[in-house]
Amino acid sequence: MIPTDEDARDVALAADGDQPAFERLYRRHVARVTSLARWLGDPADVDDAVQEIFLRVWQKLHTFAGQSAFSTWLHRVAVNLLIRRRERTGIRHRRESQDEAPLLAAPAPRERPDLRVAIERAVELLPAGARDVFVLHDMEGYKHEEIGRMLGVDPGTSRSQLHRARLLLREQLTA
Amino acid sequence: MRHRDEFTDQLSGYLDHEPGAAERSRLEEHLAGCAECRAVLADLREIVAAAPLYEGTPPASDLWPELAARLDEAKVVALPTPWTAPAAPDALHRPRGLRRFSLPELVAASLVTAALGAGGAWLALRGEPAGPTVAAVPAPAPSDPSIEPGRALTVSLADADYDAAVAELEEVLVEGRSRLDTATVRVIDESLVRIDGAIEDARAAIQRDPANGYLTRQITANMRRKLNLLRTAAKAIAEL
Repeated sequence: MIPTDEDARDVALAADGDQPAFERLYRRHVARVTSLARWLGDPADVDDAVQEIFLRVWQKLHTFAGQSAFSTWLHRVAVNLLIRRRERTGIRHRRESQDEAPLLAAPAPRERPDLRVAIERAVELLPAGARDVFVLHDMEGYKHEEIGRMLGVDPGTSRSQLHRARLLLREQLTA
Repeated sequence: MRHRDEFTDQLSGYLDHEPGAAERSRLEEHLAGCAECRAVLADLREIVAAAPLYEGTPPASDLWPELAARLDEAKVVALPTPWTAPAAPDALHRPRGLRRFSLPELVAASLVTAALGAGGAWLALRGEPAGPTVAAVPAPAPSDPSIEPGRALTVSLADADYDAAVAELEEVLVEGRSRLDTATVRVIDESLVRIDGAIEDARAAIQRDPANGYLTRQITANMRRKLNLLRTAAKAIAEL
C-alpha cells in the first residue's frame, strides 16, 4: 500500500510548485494509473493518456482538499479523463464492437502466484463492456448508478456486466 | 447448464446483497447443499476482495522526463484569473495566508490579460483558446486574416505585468543592495546576467523557430529563475 502521509506531504509541496515532490507522487502512483489507462483507454495510446492525467493533476492539485486519500482523488481525475478521451476519440465504439471477443481463447495463467497479479492480467482479456464495469466497480469503487451515467448505460446493464465479468474472471483464473 | 442458469449466475449478485430476501433465502438453502456453488462463491469473494488492491504495471518506458518538461506549460494554461502586479511593499511584506504567485502564474495572467485586451473579441468569437503558445513577438491583431480559427494565441513574454513585477523587485534590489554584503551582491549580479543572457539567446532563437516548444520552455524556466532570484534578494533585504 502507498503511505498516505508521504502523499499528503508531497501533495502540499507539489501544489506550491515543487516538481521533485510531484515526481515522487508520479512515481508512487504511475503503475496503477497506467493500468487504468490500459483498461479504460486505447491500449495503443497509454503513454499519452498517462501524461495527460498527470498534467491535469499538476494543474488541479490546488483544488485537492485532502478530504480523501490522494490516490482516491487521483483515480477519480484519471477515470474522468479517460472516459472523456474515449468520447473524443470514439474508442468506446471500437471497444463495443470487440465486446464478444472470446475470453477463453486467451492463454490461461500457468500458475497462480498472486491473485492480484493474476486478476490484472485477466482483466485485460475481458470483453470490453464487462472489463469497463469490473474496473470501475470492483477495482475503483464506483456505484452502478455512477457507472451508468459515465458509460451511458442503464445501471441494470452495469450490474449484469459486472456479474458476467466476475464469472469470466473466475473461469480464467481457475483454468 | 441448468444448474448454472438457475444458481451460478446469481452468486455474484448475492455478494453485493442484490437479491431480495426470498431469493436470498432460496439461494442460501441451495448453497447449504451444493459444494460446487459454495466453491464458486468462495472464488468470487476472493476476486472481489483482491480487485481493488491491484498494483498496476508501469509504462514500458520512463515518461517522467517528457512529463516534467511539460509541467510549466501545463501551469501556464491552467490559471483562469488575471493577476495584478502588487506594489513593492506588499510583495515583500505580504500577510500570511495570501497566495504567492509563481512565474507560470504570471505568464498565465499575461495570457489572460492579452485575452481581455486586444485579443478579447477574437477569443470571444472562437471560444476557449486551444492552448496558448508563447513567442518573443507581439501578439497578432485579432483581425489579422492570417490567423486560422483554432490556432493558438500568441503572446509576448515581455508582458507588462511580468515586467512590472520584475521592475519593482529590481528597484527594491537597487535601493537595498548597499545593505547586502559584497559577495552576495556579486553572486546576485552574476546570476542575473547569466539568466538575462539565456533569455535573450532563447528569444533570438525562437524568432527563427517560433514553434519550438523547447525554446519556449527555456524562456519560461529562465524567467521564473529570474523572478525567484529577485524575490529571494528582496526578501533578504527586507529581513535585514
